[in-house]
Amino acid sequence: MARRDIATLFRTPWIIISRALAFIIQLFVFAYLISGLVVKFPGFFPYYAVGSVVSVVASISFIIGYDIFEEAEEGLLDYLLTLPIPRREFIIGRALGGAIRAMIYTIPMFALVAVLENFSNPLSLIAAVLDLFLLAFGVTGLSITVAVSVRSANRFDVVLALLELAVSRASTALYPLAFMPSYVAAIAPFSPVTFAADSTRAALYGLSLDLTGLVGLLAFVAIFLGLGATFYFRRLEGGVYA
Amino acid sequence: MIGFDNAGKRFGTLDAVKDFSMTIRDEEILGLLGPNGAGKTTLMLMMGTVYRPTSGKISVNGLDVVHHPNDVRKIIGIAFQDPRVDGILGAFDVLNWHLKMTTNLDKVEREDRVEKVLRAVDLWDARNKRTWLMSGGMRKKVEDCKVLAQRPKIAVFDEPTAFLDVPSRLLMWKMIRELRDEGSTVIVATNMMDEAERLSDRVAIVNLGKLVAIDTPEQLKSKTKGGEVLELTLGDGQECPADLLTQFSEVQDVSQENNKVTVYLSGGRLLLPKIVETLTNRGVKIDSVHLKEVTLEDVFLNYTGHRLE
Repeated sequence: MARRDIATLFRTPWIIISRALAFIIQLFVFAYLISGLVVKFPGFFPYYAVGSVVSVVASISFIIGYDIFEEAEEGLLDYLLTLPIPRREFIIGRALGGAIRAMIYTIPMFALVAVLENFSNPLSLIAAVLDLFLLAFGVTGLSITVAVSVRSANRFDVVLALLELAVSRASTALYPLAFMPSYVAAIAPFSPVTFAADSTRAALYGLSLDLTGLVGLLAFVAIFLGLGATFYFRRLEGGVYA
Repeated sequence: MIGFDNAGKRFGTLDAVKDFSMTIRDEEILGLLGPNGAGKTTLMLMMGTVYRPTSGKISVNGLDVVHHPNDVRKIIGIAFQDPRVDGILGAFDVLNWHLKMTTNLDKVEREDRVEKVLRAVDLWDARNKRTWLMSGGMRKKVEDCKVLAQRPKIAVFDEPTAFLDVPSRLLMWKMIRELRDEGSTVIVATNMMDEAERLSDRVAIVNLGKLVAIDTPEQLKSKTKGGEVLELTLGDGQECPADLLTQFSEVQDVSQENNKVTVYLSGGRLLLPKIVETLTNRGVKIDSVHLKEVTLEDVFLNYTGHRLE
């Protein structure tokens, strides 16, 4: 199942290319421009560069939810459920496939940032990749949970878009907590994207381990993978799409 | 053997299947005959462990579908009514992936089997054409081929010949029979009378989520009252006075749906002029009269009170 989900990424290479180009433009135009304008926070560019990679991982990981919703609408999910794959493996395979797919998609962008910022310590690079992977794994679980909990296509689009916006924008991925409005700053520390962004920056710039971020990410993965699995089969086998 | 023991499936407040009990014998072709919405697909999806029954018990070759779902999935193959294929893949890749997931065949054996089945249904030349670019009939063949190539112990086909032309239908029936002859138990859900009659060893009539009757097509027909059917088409808005016809001892039953009247009787040829005369004298306008042997369609009408559209 994981291999199948990963393979779907390469069927539409133009999406990868266009998103990579958008990332490069965002980095070299927007981030450079804003970092020149921001006077209160020197070094905004490196902050933004790492954060934008984290943001992309989260964004791509959400796609699995759209895939599952579409499969359910087209009836392909019924077919997949007839295959002799234990349900536990099935759900882990799907979440893993979605997470690996997001990583494959993001690695070139991460590599670009690593070259620009001269990240060369192998241990900190491995720690950063682990942070990104945990985020991807948890977000796929969250996305699957939403996909099987919402029945209407329009409502699903709105819920997932809002959720994506909330976890990415109300986070420290693209701007520091100190500069956020108080109502955003109140929730941003609990965003999984914040856990991943802080932990990744600690690994790459501080060459240290951000335990809070790591534990937060692990909890996020456990909760949403568990919820995703439970909802997925309870709702589907109950005939939610019938 | 497959057993349904008071099985039921409820979606919200709707009972799609209720108190359904039936046994499907090994190596037979069982036709599940019923109108759209009768519960045929729900029955098959419960058997295939996609839906969990909300009541009763279903066992497939002795395995309970709730307690041993994965073991059941290993011996069952389902070809859906609407093709469930990844549109971006070609037929060859769809079937190859299906076999990879459902059998222990190695790559060479898989590819060999896929080639044989695609050649048999005349899709070999189009094997790399993306399935979303195929016609409805071609896509349906690909869907059926999944199970034909898999050769599972329990093969389930939901409307296997929908969208297919006549030669393709005949070919598909032949291939399904061959599957049965090789040792598979085959369940065919259909709303086509001729398919149920010509393909099935036994036919189960399903209506409103319930089993109405099950037997061989011949037995079902012989059990139908009278043995002959007189079909009358009346003028618009005309009502048939059934009591006038049932006074004839040869008439077993009369039913009317819109302007079509079905009279179950014996000795129809002799009785026909009398029936027409009786109705005409009563002022009933008759547009057409048709006397025939009982068909499975009449059996269905007889059991359910509805025609299978």
